[in-house]
Amino acid sequence: MNALRKIGDSSWFVELVRVRVLVILLATVVVASVTVQGFMDPGTIGLSLDRMSTIGLIAVGLTVLLIAGQLDLSGGAVLALAGIVTISLQASLGPGVAAAVGVLVGVVTGSLNGLLVVVLKINSLVATLASMLMVRAICHWATDSHPISGKDPFFGLFVSTALIGPLTFRTVLFGIAILLLWVWLSRTVSGRNLYAVGSNAVSATASGVRSNLYLFGGFVFASVMAAVAGTVQSLAVNTGSPAFGQTIVMTTIAAVVIGGTRLEGGRGSALGTLGGLLTIAFLVTAMEYQNVPAYVQDIVTGAILLLLIILDSAVSGKNHNLLTIAALKRRLGRNQTPPEGITQ
Amino acid sequence: MRKMIAGTAAIVTAAALALAGCAPAAQQSTTAAKPMEICYITAAESHAYATPANEAFKAAAKDAGVNVTMLSQNFDVQTGTEQLNTCVSRKPDGIVLWPLDPTAYVSGLTAAKAAGIPVVLINTPMGDKAMELVASFTGPDVTQEGQMSGEAMNTALGGKGNVVIIAGQAGNATTIGRTDGFTGKLKDLGSAIKVLQTVNADFDQQKALVASRDLITRFGDGIDGVFANDDTMARGFIDAWKEAGKDMKKIPAIVGVNGQKDAFQSIKDGEMVATILQSPVEDGRLALNTIVAAAKKQTVEHRIPIPLTSVTKDNVGTLQPAF
Amino acid sequence: MTQTTSSQAESRVMVQNRFSNVLQWIAVPAGTVVLIVAGSLLSPKFLTMSNATNVLINMSISGIIVVGMTFVFITRGMADLSVPATAAIGGILALGLGPALGTLPAALVGILAATAAGCVNGLLIGYARVNPVITTLAVGTIVLGTAQAFVGGVIVYGQDPQIKEFLTSRLFGVVPVIVLVFAAFAVAGHLLLSRTVLGRWSYAVGSNPDAAQASAVPVRRTKAAAFALTGGLAGLSGVLLGLTLQTARPAIGTGYEFNAITAVVVGGVSLLGGSGSVPRAMAGLLFVQVLTNIMVLQGVPTEPQGLAKGLLIAGAVALDVWLRNRGGAK
Repeated sequence: MNALRKIGDSSWFVELVRVRVLVILLATVVVASVTVQGFMDPGTIGLSLDRMSTIGLIAVGLTVLLIAGQLDLSGGAVLALAGIVTISLQASLGPGVAAAVGVLVGVVTGSLNGLLVVVLKINSLVATLASMLMVRAICHWATDSHPISGKDPFFGLFVSTALIGPLTFRTVLFGIAILLLWVWLSRTVSGRNLYAVGSNAVSATASGVRSNLYLFGGFVFASVMAAVAGTVQSLAVNTGSPAFGQTIVMTTIAAVVIGGTRLEGGRGSALGTLGGLLTIAFLVTAMEYQNVPAYVQDIVTGAILLLLIILDSAVSGKNHNLLTIAALKRRLGRNQTPPEGITQ
Repeated sequence: MRKMIAGTAAIVTAAALALAGCAPAAQQSTTAAKPMEICYITAAESHAYATPANEAFKAAAKDAGVNVTMLSQNFDVQTGTEQLNTCVSRKPDGIVLWPLDPTAYVSGLTAAKAAGIPVVLINTPMGDKAMELVASFTGPDVTQEGQMSGEAMNTALGGKGNVVIIAGQAGNATTIGRTDGFTGKLKDLGSAIKVLQTVNADFDQQKALVASRDLITRFGDGIDGVFANDDTMARGFIDAWKEAGKDMKKIPAIVGVNGQKDAFQSIKDGEMVATILQSPVEDGRLALNTIVAAAKKQTVEHRIPIPLTSVTKDNVGTLQPAF
Repeated sequence: MTQTTSSQAESRVMVQNRFSNVLQWIAVPAGTVVLIVAGSLLSPKFLTMSNATNVLINMSISGIIVVGMTFVFITRGMADLSVPATAAIGGILALGLGPALGTLPAALVGILAATAAGCVNGLLIGYARVNPVITTLAVGTIVLGTAQAFVGGVIVYGQDPQIKEFLTSRLFGVVPVIVLVFAAFAVAGHLLLSRTVLGRWSYAVGSNPDAAQASAVPVRRTKAAAFALTGGLAGLSGVLLGLTLQTARPAIGTGYEFNAITAVVVGGVSLLGGSGSVPRAMAGLLFVQVLTNIMVLQGVPTEPQGLAKGLLIAGAVALDVWLRNRGGAK
């Protein structure tokens, strides 16, 4: 126990905990490369990235919303609806325009969410649960619960074929999205305002930030990203189905949280999300290659998620702010020695 | 300080990559003839029919000295399409796919064909475009199963009556095949049987139980027959009928599919009138043997059915349940 | 006594308060009455003994879980998303261990395992103050995976038809046993919440955690208790489901968490904590079940029913928020 305390008190451990996302990602990469033959081949990497891209697109939207302190459970249903719209309108509008309309579906659903949360002041968990049920119902009603096929299965092939090196169109699209997110969050005033809104919407408004606008915009953005993911996904498989996207929201939330974004709002980053996504993608690919049964995969993913949120809680202060190294050391040191009058 | 951590991490990663780079070379020099690698994408791991089919597949693989990597879609089409891509990139000697959707896997199948990897479909067929891309489809014909069920129902009801359909997962090819086969056959026979309502119970006994309660409430004794897409859901209806305190002697004519042990017992007891026997063991074994043959570049039949038998009171004593 | 302007305003506020309070109380029951009238007009089968019994039976399994979810909401624990997993572990263990231990001991083990999972939730959420949504999600995933690993990932079949007979039978040929079990737990839950110290603490923690802390209420323990309780109740539901069906799949509990949240929310129990009660949650559950029943009798397919449910949730919460802003809480 004393040895543990000594480790807990040492600087390098504290540092490690602070960059825990990077550590977990690297650990995953190491384990995967050692256990899976050919993991580091460009083809395999490209595949992992392509798989991650659908979740990644939704994650970009969710990161923004979570930083603003809100949740969105309707992403999967929006994904399905966008796909259905994209495929069903192909005959009448042509594939390109139909895809654009599919993306526009996100604007409609996002506005619905914004209306429920910002205008009617319904809690986002409950509001997006309601919109999820409604959108999913529309999906089934519109298709009579049958999946629909597009006219030309080869139109959408470009989505998942290699475009730049081993990276597919989908991966490149995601890459652009995450890059733009990073720039916006870290380098613009409005990005910084988002954090303020997430930490405390009331005081942000008092300081002149139009919190309601940010929140509404956040919901629209998250829905649009889900719609983009759905459009692209449906084009790739040339099918629109009301059954798509059933489990994707929970996986995406897990990836974003592993990346350090908190559900309480006010903290998060594009790089963190990228780290979380990569970790999940590599982990799943590696486990599949190793013939690991699905339920064991669940245990591993759940355990990593749990580990990270516990660590995250350990390095956060009362207001969920990231503690400084000094404060962390004091906290860990406090477990060992009686308080010497040092207050947090 | 942070730089030191990052630096250490980077060095460790580089070392691991170097190790990983060495590993395959070492392996290749020690093994002489590599066993065949088959990538098997199954519908689910925990399912009444799928589980024995998977077991049979793996057992047949062991007998043939073939390595199998099994991935489970867990009834999610999206996951399946991604897993198909994963399989293709692993460049196995063959791929066996259990399709949950008639068209969604086409792009993956195209990639497989381009890479020269033979693909065999197990249990459920796909649309025409997809069938051109695969070496073979082995397994029961779900449409035929539906048709046989339709015939059994028509015989049991003497050509007229009202039935309800408890269908499987909405949008699933097996659901569509069996249901459309059933209604199509009734039409062909010129039957006066009417379908009152179709509900989806996702091949799940519990959901079928809940749906059946409502059907019984809605139509009560007006139900002359029940076609359940599988025996598990038929069980749900029987439970609901009992639960509603209804007379077991007046239970509607229930037709299921699969040929499960409990269905056989129900037919003997008069609770069900028919089931369509299909062997998951046959299904799994046939698929494996076909893919091995295809991988060895032998010619295979494009459509290899497994035998289906209509089981009624008349022949239930002479047959063995599938599982 | 002359009325000053301020007391005029006061009495207006008081009338508004009273109006809002009354409305909050009668909204759901009144709505249910409206539904029942509508249902009987729409279908002759609706107002029958067998249909009513069906609705009650359908409510029973969800109802047990709703009791737990009410506690979670009231202590401001947000929501427990591990319910499908804890229900599954209850069912899987009850059936899997049945042959070795006997049905009832196996059921007990199932419930205990589920409660243990709930305790893990409680420890992390109450003591380590990790976010409830993500914690219950993570713990649920791990628990379900472990349960499946325990039985080798296959479906578990039961071997005790007698317990199935018992659970699906009716007392005096009229009242289903399962409804009695549900009623027992609903009443117990209500008494726990309204008449015990734990109940009072739960309300205190939910409405004002800082004040509760200052009044020496064991905040962390109360919050943890809500999750442990929900875990145990979900496990019990899973056990009952497994024993009634005599099969248990890992997905046996899917959807029950959102069903419970829907019921609680429609009943007017606030996500923000501190208000509501078990009877109100039950009223919400009844409302949702009656609505579903009407839709089914009208032939509305399963999935499209979600449209009505979603609108219902949005409407119920919006109404609740509006009433809160107009008058007092509770």
